[in-house]
Parts: sequence; C-alpha cells; structure tokens
Amino acid sequence: MKKIPLSASGPVMKDYTCSVTPTWCEGCGNYGIWTALKTALVELKLQPHQVLLCYDVGCHGNMSDKMLGYRIHGLHGRVIPLAAGAKLANPRLPVIAVGGDGASFSEGVGHLVHAIRSNYPITLLMHNNANYGLTTGQASALTKKGERMNSSPNGIPEETLNSMDFVFSLKPTFVARAFSGNVPQMVQIMKAAILHRGFAYVDILQACPSYNHFATQEWLEEHCYSVQDGKKKYDTSDFDLARKTAVDTGKKIATGILYQGKDVPDFIERLQPRKNVKTTPVEEVAITDISRWMERFI
Amino acid sequence: MCAKGLKRAGYCVFGYREYMSLIRGGHSSYQLDSANTLIRSSETHVDVVVCFNHHGIRTNLPDLKEGGILIHQTAQWKFSPEEEKLISAKHLKIIELPTLDILRTLNAKPILGNVLITAVVWSIFRRKPEELKALVTEQFGHKADLLAQNFSCIEEGFAFHGKHAANICVTLPEPDDQWRKQLLLTGSHAMGLGIVHAGCRLYAGYPMTPSSPLLTYIADLQNETGMTVKQAEDEITAAQMMVGAMHMGTRAITATSDGGFDLMTETLSLAGITETPAVFVLAQRPGPGTGLPTWTAQGDLLLAVHAGHGEFPRLVLAPADSSDSFDLMPEAFNKAEEFQIPVIVLTDKHLAEALFTQKPYDQKRSQLRRGSLVTDPKKLKSLKASDRYDPSAPDGISLRWLPGSEAVTYCAQGDEHDSEGNVSEASANAAAQMQKRMKKLEALKASLPEPDITGSEHPEILIVSWGSTKGVVEDVLRDEAFRGRQIAHLHYTYLWPLKTERFVALARAAKHTVCVEGNHTGQLSMLLKRACGIGPTDEVLKADGRPFFSDELKEKLMPLLRP
Repeated sequence: MKKIPLSASGPVMKDYTCSVTPTWCEGCGNYGIWTALKTALVELKLQPHQVLLCYDVGCHGNMSDKMLGYRIHGLHGRVIPLAAGAKLANPRLPVIAVGGDGASFSEGVGHLVHAIRSNYPITLLMHNNANYGLTTGQASALTKKGERMNSSPNGIPEETLNSMDFVFSLKPTFVARAFSGNVPQMVQIMKAAILHRGFAYVDILQACPSYNHFATQEWLEEHCYSVQDGKKKYDTSDFDLARKTAVDTGKKIATGILYQGKDVPDFIERLQPRKNVKTTPVEEVAITDISRWMERFI
Repeated sequence: MCAKGLKRAGYCVFGYREYMSLIRGGHSSYQLDSANTLIRSSETHVDVVVCFNHHGIRTNLPDLKEGGILIHQTAQWKFSPEEEKLISAKHLKIIELPTLDILRTLNAKPILGNVLITAVVWSIFRRKPEELKALVTEQFGHKADLLAQNFSCIEEGFAFHGKHAANICVTLPEPDDQWRKQLLLTGSHAMGLGIVHAGCRLYAGYPMTPSSPLLTYIADLQNETGMTVKQAEDEITAAQMMVGAMHMGTRAITATSDGGFDLMTETLSLAGITETPAVFVLAQRPGPGTGLPTWTAQGDLLLAVHAGHGEFPRLVLAPADSSDSFDLMPEAFNKAEEFQIPVIVLTDKHLAEALFTQKPYDQKRSQLRRGSLVTDPKKLKSLKASDRYDPSAPDGISLRWLPGSEAVTYCAQGDEHDSEGNVSEASANAAAQMQKRMKKLEALKASLPEPDITGSEHPEILIVSWGSTKGVVEDVLRDEAFRGRQIAHLHYTYLWPLKTERFVALARAAKHTVCVEGNHTGQLSMLLKRACGIGPTDEVLKADGRPFFSDELKEKLMPLLRP
C-alpha cells in the first residue's frame, strides 16, 4: 500500500473529514469501506471538489453526510441511473455510485443490467451485507436461502441469487470483490475501479453484526483470499477464469480484481454525436441558433 | 406533400392525424383543414376524402360535406345500399382512380401511388403541376430516375382528372402571401426545436406514445446538435438520468406519457427535496391504464399538479400550439433553474402530432437565465457549505453551485437535511426547510403572467381554456355567430401555481363562465374553485380521445348566445 500523502501539495485525509459522526453499528463493515474510499480518493490525488459521490438508500447511504466531496443522496434502488446521468453531463468528473445489495439486486436490478451492457464510465461500490440493514434485517436476494430474517420467521423460501454468476453473464468490463475488513486491498481495488475505462462493479462483502449472522466478520476473514496474493500470477484479462473463480465460493471466496477488460469502449465513446467533442454538456449550455433546422420546415 | 403544397400556395394549413395502436391493419387517417386566414383546428366534415383502401371508404364516406368528393382506388368497389343513399342525398361525387394500372404503364413502384393520387387532388384544386414538381424535386432531385418517375406520376394524375372527372373541382379561396414563407411543422417538431434552442444537451426517454415523436425528432437531430440522447431501460431511469445530469449542471429533459409519468413521480419528489432543477414533458393521452394509447386527452392536469409524494413547489405549464411549444421550452428551463424546482410541461397527443402553419421563430427574444447559480471563481471560493440550503435565503432560493466547481462541497440530500445537506431529523430544522422550499412557490407565482385574454373587455360570456384547446376556441370565436358579441377568451398557459386575479374579476362580472376541457371531470374548474372559490357556471367537457372539432364546439357554445 502506498503511503497516504500528508503534505499540503495534494489532498489529505483530513480534507474529506466532516463534522458529522458516523451512526453505524459497532463492528459494521461500513467503517472500513468509508476509510478505504477516502484513502483511495486521496491516493488518486482527487480533491473533494473533484469527485461526485452518489448514494442509494440503505446503511451505506448514511455515508452521504459522513465525508466531504460533492454528493447526492437519491432514492432507493436508483443510484445507478442517477450517477450515469450525472456522468454523461460531465465526463471529466469521476462519478462513484454507492449502493447496497437490496438496491442493486432487487429494487434496481434492471439498472445494474443496463449499466453493465452500456458500460457507463462510473464505479459501483456495492455494499454487500446480504440483508436490508437499515430497515432492520429483512432478507435480500443475496441472503442465504432458508435463513430466518426479520419478516421471514420461517426462513426465506426463495433461492439465493448468485450475484457474481449474474454479473458475469452480462459481459462486464470490470469486476472486483472486496472484504470490508481488508482496507488496503479495498483501496487498491477502488483506485483501479475509479480509473477503469467503463463500468466498474465492486462487490464488497461486508460484515453486518446486527443482522447478518451467517457471514460474520470472523467467517469472512476465514473464507476470503486474494487472487492477487497467489503464487501463480492471476491473469485479470481472462474472462472465463475470472467467472469460474468468482462463482466458486464453496470453500473459499476469491477477492481482488477478478476481471478487467481494458479494450471495450465506454458508453460515451460509443456515442456518435460526441465523437471528437472537446467540451462537456455542462459547458455547452447556451441559447442555440436553430435556424438551420427550422428552415427545413418552410 | 399536399400540406406543404397548400402552404406554399398561400394557405394556412392545420393537420390532424388519427391512428390506432397497431402497426398493420386497422384504419388511419390524416385530415388537412386549410384557409387563407389563420386556422388552428379541424372540422368534423371535409370537402375531399382520399381513400387508400376500402376501410377508408367505409369509415370516412359519412365525413363528406354536401357535394363532397370521394377519391378511391379500390377496383370494382360496390357501395352498400345505405352508402348509395348517402351519396345521392348529399350529392357526393365519386372518383375511382385505377392507381395500379396507371403505375404499371409507367413502370413505377407502388409507393408512387401517393404522388399520383396527390396530383389528382391538386388538379381538383385547379392548382398547377409545377407546384408539385417543385416539391418532389426538393426531395428526390439527387436521384434522376426517381425524379423522372415522380414527374410522370404527376402528369398522369393531372391527365386522369382532365380526362375522366374534369368537372369535379374544388374552388379554393384567394391565397394569401403571408403563409408561403411560414413553417409547417408538428407540435413535437416545435418542441424539439425549442429544447435544442434552450441549450438542453441531454435527452433521456423511454418510448411511449404520444411522447415518442419528440424522442424520434431529437434523436434524428443528434448528429447535428451533438446532444446526448439516451433511450433508457425504463421511465424511472430516464427521469433519474435527467435529474443526475441537471444536478451536474447541464440542461437535460425527459418526456413521457401517462403511465410512464406515474413511474417518474418518485424522482419528481426527489428533485423537490434536493432542489434540483428538472424538466419533465408529460404528453397526455386518455387513461386510465393503457387507455387509448394513440388518442388525445387533457386528463392529467391534476396528476401534474399533485404528482409525487410529500409537499414541494413545482411549475406546471401547458403549451397550446406550435408557438408555445417552442417559446416555452427556454422558459421551462429558466424557471427550473431560477427556482431550483421540477417543471412539468403538459402536452397531449393532439398538440404533439397536429400540423401547424407557423411564423418562423423569433430567436432574439430568448434568454438564458440560470438564477442563483454561482460560477465566478472568486465567489465560489467564498461559499460556505451552508449556503446551499440556507433557509434564510431570499424567497427560499439559496445559492447553487455545480459538482466540480472549486468550492466547498455539499450533499444534495434526499433525506430532510440542514443547510449543508447533512441529514437532520430535528423538528425546528424540518419546519424551516419545508418553509424555505414552499416560499419559492410564492415567488414563482409572482413571476408568472396572468392568463391571456382576448375578445371583449367586459364579457358577458367568458370562455376559459388551457393547453391545446386554445386553437379550436379561437377558431370558433372568430366565427360570424360570435363576432361582435360580449365574449372573451381566457387562456391558461401556466397552471400551477395558478393565478386567479384576472379570472375572478372577469368571472364575477360575466353571465356565463365556461371551462372548455378535454377531460371528464373538469380539472381546471376544480383547480380554480379551490384557488379562488369561484368556478365556472358551465362546462364543455369531452373525454372520447378526440380533440374538439370547430363545428362541434360552436354547436356546444351556441346556446350561451340566447338571451
């Protein structure tokens, strides 16, 4: 891990610090994610005014006033199109969408599908605590089948969605999995995700001491390993290997940057009208002469 | 081609399209009304019906006026006894055009039947073939062989009429030069031009009639305008993208219709609390449910005024015609940015697809107004985060600055928040922020004009309308039966917040106050009553998917003239 810059020449951690104290439970994975995100932004030398953080609704969304940076805290399940719209308006600004497993795999699962196929140049930090924490522990699509949750006293009857299998089926260009207990690894993943050319999907396995009693901090610590730490060099450009590695969680759970395709143009690059345009839509707002189009109606 | 030809010849044209929600089969029609004076509506009956198949003969034969002309191309068509009776009672004239035979001799493709049939109509109008030739040259001039075929079809059409039906003619009134250089375009074209003119740089939408023609037009222009056009996966996405893009600082828009707008309303509410400028076009069609997808209505006024959970200020405005559709778009964006509110532009299928003859737009009048947006680097440096949602800001309109600006950062917060956008559940703060937002509504109302008034200054009869009904009301009031009477027409463009001073003054003095609306429950009447305690004495309502026709509305208003 690189040293956090403390000189005045670049941003420092303090620049992201705000006056509001976190309200997450003791032992919540959000503390680690929060720290990693600030560190990643600092290490990328991004000042708070040089980033837009978009938050969904959930425990992660309570980060919206726990650190600085330009932020928007929107609706449940809708952070991806909100962030994508913002990015299309100003492609120069890094845009990071922060959502949970409830938002990304139930309420707004359609947006995830289309964000991956569109390859919007944004990052999704998917806080995966496998339940709805903020509404007091109901099951999400990623909760283990049969688990007894708030409002599912008999255990949930639905099959658990295999999030990685689902994501890989959509031909993503960047997939990473992280664990909220491993801050240095999260920092590296987030930096790579923010710098990625298209849509970066970052699945962060997160301890939820209040409501997730099946994948606890200790359990995750025991089961997670980093593909980047192996003896053999892990090839992040091998899609099939990545998919197999990601989906196979039977004994151990692979973390790290699992897949990155660097050659796929992002959504904005694919837009014919925006080819070779040097300005951003934000800069282009002006009363526009429409004479040339009006004349066609005479 | 016919509409353009008429306009170029010196006539004001109004086009009205009817079609069904299917791709093949069924019946579609296009009606053109024209005059040498201004015309903004259709009549129920016509002088000429051109039928492309036998559905047209069956459906539209009764639409002919006394002495009207039916042109059809269905070989050996047998009229029913009832139709024969109608033909002789109304002295209708029938022309059967052997289109396929003529095209075969010309070795022309079936699509050229349209040109042939237009040429027959043109000959019936006693116009010159050169006028049509000029039009097809504009379109096909670059393809010599196709142009030659077009020319022969035009010549054959005139020849056929001269040989077989020379005495069947329509005498057009004297043309007027003022129309020749005007535009001929639909409400959607006008709105598309207005959107581009307003500096809008992103359009996110999901196809739904009758908002789709706007999406299509904006998308067709994208390579020239450089606009980002996104066909989203659903209406929620489209609305969210628009709000995200507006938050970032560009001008963005989304357009939809009934059910699609229902899906957008949560986002509308988000724009309300985050005070993000937003522009929604709501193109009405008859509901509930899927309703009548390809027909018209004014049934969503109260939806627009009330949509979204919670209480927040908004602007609802309704263009009436091709003038408004252009002129109001920069205003919609200006108001959205000045007051940091969502703006709903209410149109309908009739306005979206009707064809208008329109003076070229005066672009010099347009302004770009972005309200309290801070862009000056020095001023940006001096900002405090608490400036963003400062409850003591004048009129509740606090400073706004864009992500990426070198300034202190804030959170556009969807939860109730303090002045910096930090979540706050404190009672005093919640009350202060609600008041801050709602104060903007008063300031917005003060900035709006009173409804337009035309006609008598001391009317006995006051006709009140909104949206696309304006044109037909004006056409009817120009009719001789109404001219010189004590009648005034009050037309509402801005519907929320609702100004009532002028309405109250006129309605108090009038014997009759009549609201003319394309809905079942009299939605503007309800709003007026709620806002000022006075409602109309009479209502003329229509909820069958069709716009008001001029002769129909005239008949409905005539009883008011009796002493």
